[in-house]
Amino acid sequence: MAKPRELRRRIKSVENTRQITKTMEMVATSKLKRAQDRVIAARPYAAALAEIISDLHDPALVEQFPLLRRPKGGARRAAVVGITSNRGLCGAFNNNLIKEARARIKALEQEGAEVELHMIGRKGVGFFKYLGRPMAAEYRDITDRPTMDDATRVIDPLMERFAAGDLDVVEVVFAKFVSAMSTPATGFRVLPVDVERVERPEDSGAAANYILRPSAREIVGAVLPLYVRNAMYRALVETAASEQGARRTAMKNATDNAGDMIDNLRRSYNRARQGQITQEISEIVGGASALQG
Amino acid sequence: MHVTVIAPESAVFEGAADSVIAPAFDGEVGILPRHAPFMTLLGDGRLTVRQGEANHAFHVRGGFLQVVRDNVRVVAEHARAEE
Repeated sequence: MAKPRELRRRIKSVENTRQITKTMEMVATSKLKRAQDRVIAARPYAAALAEIISDLHDPALVEQFPLLRRPKGGARRAAVVGITSNRGLCGAFNNNLIKEARARIKALEQEGAEVELHMIGRKGVGFFKYLGRPMAAEYRDITDRPTMDDATRVIDPLMERFAAGDLDVVEVVFAKFVSAMSTPATGFRVLPVDVERVERPEDSGAAANYILRPSAREIVGAVLPLYVRNAMYRALVETAASEQGARRTAMKNATDNAGDMIDNLRRSYNRARQGQITQEISEIVGGASALQG
Repeated sequence: MHVTVIAPESAVFEGAADSVIAPAFDGEVGILPRHAPFMTLLGDGRLTVRQGEANHAFHVRGGFLQVVRDNVRVVAEHARAEE
């Protein structure tokens, strides 16, 4: 049986670990709150863009907008933008994102496309480095408070190349923020823009008879890039919020486990201590009776 | 007339107003209550929302402006309140 002193040392060490995980849980909780607020704050803009595109879009005009162009005979050149976090200690969060990114790459390759990988976040970059898969771009400097500028920096070069016909498909893999507990890794096709699937807000009512300046065509042409940029921004913001949610869950589990471990160790410690006392008493009694004898 | 100014990261302004002067792509447009349904692209410049005596000024760039049923919605790629 372990010595009481050793057990006491282990209890102390697990207690320290629990203190740390508990603090990290609280930090993640407060960051989650703020990240969640940013997700919600970004919604009106996305809704406004979706509404205007679905109001003004005319299926007959698809050919005129490069961002709607569908590759003929399948995609030949594709780009996958994978988003991961910069930090660990968030459970299977990054693993799930990496797994989904690899699944998307594989699916596109099976369709016969040449896939380039753009990776956001240290965890993903590190993984694909280790794997030895070349990346077309690596972003390690996007913080857990992503901005519109970050999104623009990532997606604009891809959008230009798509418009020029150099890319046929652009997909983003991100952690959808359903709730703090549910953050499924999700693949989303940002380009070509699928206008049929642009979510139309409920309350917008029938399309009014607008005076349009300069013209519906030019307005849609100008708004489509905004929509694509916004999709990228939302992917970044949702992933940031999901990361905090995943970290909170992971740290809560770690804290609970540490608590269970401390309970068990305490039990062993008490037993060992009691055993030692019993042994000492029996030794004393034995010694005394030997002297009397 | 109800006015909202929306930037990508959050809504910048929301409230009632008496008039809006916005920088459209081809020059300024003024919107008064009961304006006909209208949609235009925005340029780069100063957006003024007048509310009684108070003026709210914003710097906006890109995006569009939409007027429908006395709701003015300014959806700008960049929008920042001006002092």
